[in-house]
Amino acid sequence: MNRHDGCCGAFGEGHLERLYEYLDGALTDEDIEAMRRHLQDCPDCHEQAAFEQLIRSEVRRCCQEKAPEQLRATIRMRMTQIRVTRYG
Amino acid sequence: MTPTIAPPRPAAVDWPVMTDHISAAEDGRPQAPAHDETPAAYARPENAPEHDTADIDVAAETETDRRARFERDALEFVDQLYSAALRMTRNPQDAEDLVQEAYTKAYSSFHQYRPGTNLKAWLYRILTNTYINLYRKRQREPQQAQTDTVEDWQMARAAEHTSTGLRSAETEALDRLPDSEVKAALQSIPEDFRLAVYFADVEGYAYKEIAEILDVPIGTVMSRLHRGRKQLREALSEYAAGRGMDVTTTPGKSRKKTTAAQKEATR
Repeated sequence: MNRHDGCCGAFGEGHLERLYEYLDGALTDEDIEAMRRHLQDCPDCHEQAAFEQLIRSEVRRCCQEKAPEQLRATIRMRMTQIRVTRYG
Repeated sequence: MTPTIAPPRPAAVDWPVMTDHISAAEDGRPQAPAHDETPAAYARPENAPEHDTADIDVAAETETDRRARFERDALEFVDQLYSAALRMTRNPQDAEDLVQEAYTKAYSSFHQYRPGTNLKAWLYRILTNTYINLYRKRQREPQQAQTDTVEDWQMARAAEHTSTGLRSAETEALDRLPDSEVKAALQSIPEDFRLAVYFADVEGYAYKEIAEILDVPIGTVMSRLHRGRKQLREALSEYAAGRGMDVTTTPGKSRKKTTAAQKEATR
């Protein structure tokens, strides 16, 4: 049995990769349309896509750290050092 | 439930391929790249710094002007570079050092940045190169080799593991995972995959942009992204399972329980 990475396999081997590319905005207009239609008709793939999007939004939300306050000051200090070295 | 799947992002901007590296000076001093590495056609994004416009005359600028311009435009991205640096170094002190070093190099090369293009991507590229030159060579040689030789059986295992489908129970479990575990799952995948996923998901960069920043071919970016996404999904499922969130009980749609062997396969 070939399960095509958990998708229905409508697009053959690499189906999941194609879904990734769809979500990444990397398909041609024609392929985007084909995938969009497919997602409307296939609950499995729709769910896969929704889960993939959830992962993306979670990753995005979790990777928004603020730099420590002193980091900007340290960078400015080092910029001054460069100037002194170069022109001082 | 997510009722609709959002339309994909706009197609990639067409950047020319850069072939040169920004190298670290032997003596540790910041060093300008061998060639003009300024990504000339980095398209200016909509959210670019307001004053970073194409009409700035770099040649006519005094050092004081340039410094002011750097502070105004480039320092806007310290938080973003720090966040990316955390994905690279895995600890806050090294991340701070890395960002400092990258900014120092960026300032030294700032005359080569073409105003009105994509300053953040330019800085990310310097960050990535600084990391590779200063940190990874020193600390992480074994892992780098490992990332491109993930065994086929591991990939097959990961594919099989996800192939039983991700169901709403799993969606709920992911929703309830604390940030620390999402970050840990991200950290658990190989570094090359992690950075590709970071730039795609956090910055929303197109494959071509990621290829420029990481200085690898687009095909490599796609491969790393695809493999990284599969492994990340796997790792997140395991964190959810590890917290006792039962993701195996959806009637008729059960997925396999995590076994020690499968855990190992994600390393």
